[in-house]
Amino acid sequence: MNAIELSHIRKSFGGFAIQDLCLTVPSGTICGLVGENGAGKSTTIRLLMGALRPDGGTAKVLGTDVSSPEFQDVKEDVGVVLDEAYFPEVLNAVQVGNIMASTYRRWDDSLYQSYLRRFDLPEKKPFRDYSRGMRMKLSIAVALSHQPRLLVLDEATAGLDPIVRDEVLDIFNEFTREEDHSILISSHILSDLEKLCDYIAFLHQGELLFCDEKDRLLETYGILTDTAEQVDCLTPEAVVAREPSGYGGVRALVRRDLAPSGFQLERPTVEDIILFMVKGAKNA
Amino acid sequence: MKALLMKDCFVLWKQLRIFIFVMLVISVFNGGFGNVFVVIWAAMLPYTAMAYDERSKWDQLAAMMPYSVRDIVLSKYVLGWLCTGAAALFTLVCQLLQTVLGSPFAAFDPAANLIGLCSSLCVLAITSPMMFRFGVERGRLTMFLMIFLGCGTAGALGSVVVDGEGPARLPALLTLILPIAAVVLTAVSIPLSMGLYRKRSC
Repeated sequence: MNAIELSHIRKSFGGFAIQDLCLTVPSGTICGLVGENGAGKSTTIRLLMGALRPDGGTAKVLGTDVSSPEFQDVKEDVGVVLDEAYFPEVLNAVQVGNIMASTYRRWDDSLYQSYLRRFDLPEKKPFRDYSRGMRMKLSIAVALSHQPRLLVLDEATAGLDPIVRDEVLDIFNEFTREEDHSILISSHILSDLEKLCDYIAFLHQGELLFCDEKDRLLETYGILTDTAEQVDCLTPEAVVAREPSGYGGVRALVRRDLAPSGFQLERPTVEDIILFMVKGAKNA
Repeated sequence: MKALLMKDCFVLWKQLRIFIFVMLVISVFNGGFGNVFVVIWAAMLPYTAMAYDERSKWDQLAAMMPYSVRDIVLSKYVLGWLCTGAAALFTLVCQLLQTVLGSPFAAFDPAANLIGLCSSLCVLAITSPMMFRFGVERGRLTMFLMIFLGCGTAGALGSVVVDGEGPARLPALLTLILPIAAVVLTAVSIPLSMGLYRKRSC
């Protein structure tokens, strides 16, 4: 079963539009949603959670159409962390726990308390006095404490210091050890996604440029650093994008299957691929 | 809905303490007008809770939690009803006690309390749809316009009745009209608010 299935989703808001978005996240996997600011990541998350009604297309989460009344029950199985949408600022962690205990049928208070301790979150301090990182940690604690099968995380690691970020990534990894547990995470920190994700989906100006297995993506592309003449020898289809490197050379993202075997290609990072893709799209 | 009401009570708790104190002072020393004022003020408390929700973008998070639009909208009405009901009961008991104790500020008048309660329910019913559609910041302007119009109408109505059959007739007329108006307006207001809230979030 797929945890998330977006099929030909369209949504327009004046100057911005999500265009024919098809995205599938298989159950038991972690998918990273990547894109610049304003690419449509948060809109995609709102669409898949039924918080926005699409102009066209269908969205299914854990096998249920999000526009159906049954989706209300499915939300019990989804833990959500949103960027800059929090609990009202006068609440404290204990009050948030009490509210969530009345919200989710499978709320596990002892698990919530253990996350509060693990994240060093003060119980009685009002939310407004929390740092951004603490707010994120509280949101993550809530998202994990009602036994969800799917986590939808919008910039959930933003504002966390590297040590806590690493710990949170470990928690997310632990979460997906259960074979029916899945995660969709959007982030600007591509190194986190590279560490965590099985799939990478790249949104650019409301359009999904690709959604592929991370390992396959890293095997498909290579980085060629050479002279401009050497890069020009390649077919235009082989070169995704290029940029000047030092000493008059050129650095290019190329498709391995279309490059002659004599070329020395470096293994790219996800960040390399995304940056070249954005440049390629801008130069196209 | 229990969770949403609990959240609003936690959010309003500090404000409620001040409100209870002011309510006590006004209802003890300001008689009939004070009672009506306190109850109408209580009807505004859900908007304070909404303002806190908006500041933290709680509505975006709530839309992804297992709350229905019905629960989200109805919880604010229920909060308003609880606050106005409690304020009306509180002022009534205060005035009854003062009457029994022979206080010079005693103004025990259940009809005035009923008018205050029903007026505040009308205010809640009329202004809530705008709050759900435009948010508290812009909805508040509509609320002030409604209150201004309401006061103007009440003043005009008062002068007509005074000119006609004497001031004693006004409360009797209002105790008849206002409960019906409160029920009818609320019955129209709730589905309207739900529709407007859905429109706003989509």
